[in-house]
Amino acid sequence: MLGPWLDYTVNGLIIGNIYALLAVGLALIFGVANLINFAHGSVYTVGAYIGWASITYLHTPLPVTLLLVVAGCALLGIAIERLGLRPLHGRSRIAPLLATIGISLVLDQLVQLLGSPDPRALPSQLPDVRFQIGNGTIGTLDLLIAGIGIGSATLLYVFLRHTKLGWAVRATAQDQDAARQMGVDTDRINLTVFAIASALGGVSGVLVGMYYNSIDPNMSFDATLKGVVAMMIGGLGNVPGAIGGGLLLGLTESYGIALFGSSYRNLFAFALLILILVLAPNGLFRWRRDLPPEPLTGTFIAPSRPVRIPRSVLAGITVAAALLGLAPLPYLLQTLTNGLLTALLALSLTLVAGTVGQVSLGQAALLAIGGYASGLLALDLGWPVDVSVLAAGFITAALGTLVVYPAFRMRGHYVAIATLGIGQIVALVILNWTGLTRGAMGLTAIPPPSIAGVELTSVRSVYWLSLALVVAMALLQTRLLAAHLGRAWRSIREDEVAARSYGVDANRYKALAFAFGGFGAGVGGAVTAHLYSYIDYQTFSAQLSIVALTMVILGGLGNVPGAILGAVVLTGFPELFRAAAEYRMLAYGVVLLLLIRYRPQGLLGTV
Amino acid sequence: MLGRRTLLAGTAALGTAALVHGRSAAAADAVVVGVSGPLTGQMAQYGSQWKASFDLAIEQIKAGGGPAIEYQFEDSQADPRQSVAIAQKFVNDDRIVIEVGDFSSTASMAASPIYQRGKLVQFGQTNSHPDFTKGGDYMWSSSISQAEEQPNLADYAINGLGLKKLAVLHLNTDWGTTAKNLFVKAVQDKGAEVVGTEGFLPGEKDFRSTLVRLRDANPTGFILEAYYADAAVIARQVRDLGLKQPIAAVGSVYSPKLLELGGDAVNGIYTQSNFFPDDPRPEVQAFVKAFQAKYNRAPDGFNATAFDTMILIGALVKQFGATREGIHEGLAKIKDVPSVVYGSMTFDPATRRVAGAKFERLVVKDDKFTLWDGVKPSVG
Repeated sequence: MLGPWLDYTVNGLIIGNIYALLAVGLALIFGVANLINFAHGSVYTVGAYIGWASITYLHTPLPVTLLLVVAGCALLGIAIERLGLRPLHGRSRIAPLLATIGISLVLDQLVQLLGSPDPRALPSQLPDVRFQIGNGTIGTLDLLIAGIGIGSATLLYVFLRHTKLGWAVRATAQDQDAARQMGVDTDRINLTVFAIASALGGVSGVLVGMYYNSIDPNMSFDATLKGVVAMMIGGLGNVPGAIGGGLLLGLTESYGIALFGSSYRNLFAFALLILILVLAPNGLFRWRRDLPPEPLTGTFIAPSRPVRIPRSVLAGITVAAALLGLAPLPYLLQTLTNGLLTALLALSLTLVAGTVGQVSLGQAALLAIGGYASGLLALDLGWPVDVSVLAAGFITAALGTLVVYPAFRMRGHYVAIATLGIGQIVALVILNWTGLTRGAMGLTAIPPPSIAGVELTSVRSVYWLSLALVVAMALLQTRLLAAHLGRAWRSIREDEVAARSYGVDANRYKALAFAFGGFGAGVGGAVTAHLYSYIDYQTFSAQLSIVALTMVILGGLGNVPGAILGAVVLTGFPELFRAAAEYRMLAYGVVLLLLIRYRPQGLLGTV
Repeated sequence: MLGRRTLLAGTAALGTAALVHGRSAAAADAVVVGVSGPLTGQMAQYGSQWKASFDLAIEQIKAGGGPAIEYQFEDSQADPRQSVAIAQKFVNDDRIVIEVGDFSSTASMAASPIYQRGKLVQFGQTNSHPDFTKGGDYMWSSSISQAEEQPNLADYAINGLGLKKLAVLHLNTDWGTTAKNLFVKAVQDKGAEVVGTEGFLPGEKDFRSTLVRLRDANPTGFILEAYYADAAVIARQVRDLGLKQPIAAVGSVYSPKLLELGGDAVNGIYTQSNFFPDDPRPEVQAFVKAFQAKYNRAPDGFNATAFDTMILIGALVKQFGATREGIHEGLAKIKDVPSVVYGSMTFDPATRRVAGAKFERLVVKDDKFTLWDGVKPSVG
């Protein structure tokens, strides 16, 4: 029985190899800039397309192709650092993270516009000599990918430990200001690191493209996701650890498939991530706590004086919004309804991320839980919709808090990555638990929203329902924030250690925040499900979690009216740019970047 | 500071104006078709394929003395949040007489209640989800019914190719799952055996371990329920693992892209297609020639489907008038519309789908799709 296991091991190492290459670039950037670079996958995609263009149009041999990719992506890395991230220096820690998300959006759209959305073939330029291992074979490309991964990690390790510039890089990583006082040109260090990491990312893109003989503009999200998971397993910012993390992730997936089948592969990948985060948050390859501790979560948020909107104005806006429901503008009302339902998600996120300081990248999972809970109660048990929606709120509050529980003892980036993983796990459980959720077929024929037996089918009535829900949740949240509870929440954000020493039970308060936010988001997801009549595991995708975070930051973290504003504006955004058709996502990305650059504390300011 | 504020306010004002008066100028006499589909995002390539075929069909309808047709293409990114907003827009725009799309079931079926209540036909040309047309009597589809295609594929694999123990890889979406379930049932009905099924997620590229798992179930052939990009990647890894079993695949792998992406590994893949450019039928030849002349590339099945849709709309408008109700009633009555995919298209008013797709049995030989010569594969 060794036969198949040898094959599974080889296969795991082959895919792990690719994850490792991605993770090394991410680890390098994190090591210096303390930043999870969400644009890394996009640089990887750009690299693949530069390689494709140079082979197709210039007929370059492999070494020249790689050289062009290295040069092109290094320049791109320099541009990202210089134009996208350096202006944000000294701002809140969340700003660069979001900027990389915006940059990634812009790069992916550019690639798609220039390179057509259809996948393209990227033929390998290596002579394909294949070696028999077990029952399968590996080719020269597998060896080259492994060689470049391990080679670059070794080189980087030596560079960081034994060269003067390497010391400067590490000094910059430990304390940017102190390094600067010692005469280190930290700007130049950052540029160098971004250039190296991006060149590496581009080379990975071109090699992986050749490996599958297929590149497309959507390959970036998966690449970022798997690269980040591999990096976390190896330890944030640990370059040699990233290699180990990548290989371990590949092996876990491969053995997971061997034991349970391929639809569980990502479930295993993310379960491994959560396990590592809970048991060994510094990664598998560090036993000592020698990473600089994560900054206190409070510094994640840009301090600012929030814009105080008089109550009378808020009341006026609410009345105007309610009156707008009378207008014969169904398209506008539908768009606003979508915005308001998303606002329930944004309200929950602004509470956990802004007020309590737990930046969550998996918040859309709460909508999914709410949608499925209410849909199933109505479909399978025949509950009236108003009761099932309410029940979905409580179920989401309970279930949502429970699944996020492992993230409670974490801070900063760790919370963000853990919740990203938890969000993926929820979606995969929905996909695979066919007996309950009907799997990939989704829930069909979900009855429309109703109150006391009266079906709300007109745009107008659903609009008013959503508006009423948002106003109710917003008032409640404002009330809680002004009370003792709000102060306890903020104290955890500002300094969890101090809060604990004053007797604030941090976990209990975090649970309360997730439960309260989960109720609102669950109700929002439930109403959405009844409005659409059909949902599946993709209706509330990981991208929605990221959009939700941008909404909350746009409005101002922790700011209740800000979250609603952010949700309505960003939901309306793609609609506003509709005339631009293919270019509108690009416009969305650019505007997002401008906002982060010029108004990082959001439109209404953080609270 | 002032500049920034003005800019923001300006954008907001512009946007509000666009939302309120969200209609583009169109010739007053043209018939307008609303199209909701992906032009950006993960599925953008399908939207751009639709566009190419719509433009070609509209030219031909006009040249043939038919009605002047325009379409308003709204990008939904195949996202349900956007497709429902588009649905409201279309339903309340009196110029629009029929809606086409969306691409995915997630986006299409979320918008169905709005079209149904608005009494505007939602024509889901790619929506094979068995429940799509159950959304109401305004949901119609020309998508190939998997209930027809899968028994055909099973027959090809079992009786045509002589494969008795099959391993199935399927896309883990509503489409792929439906296809897999119908295929497994058809295989059992024919007295053969499915030794293993594995689902994969859209965008997945590594299949080596999945294939090892299937290999150890000792199949005599692999069946792919996938689109062309995935099928090419899978075929390459099947060969990398040293597996020699024949591969048969559902018709959606039929695309010139399969050959480009798969290279040598796709030689010997068996498939069937309801659209095959070398098909001697005159309607197919006329379409392929016209498409090639206009775009300088070969069309694929998605192009053929979209072309058929617009020709159908032209015929509906001509026979039943350019009104929503005329088109709705016309769909049940119209008979034998010339079609690239079906030969001729007639809807069953009970299921609101088209029956009788033709399947040509194909094999990839010397980097080309060719008609299957009836020879059983030697290994297997």
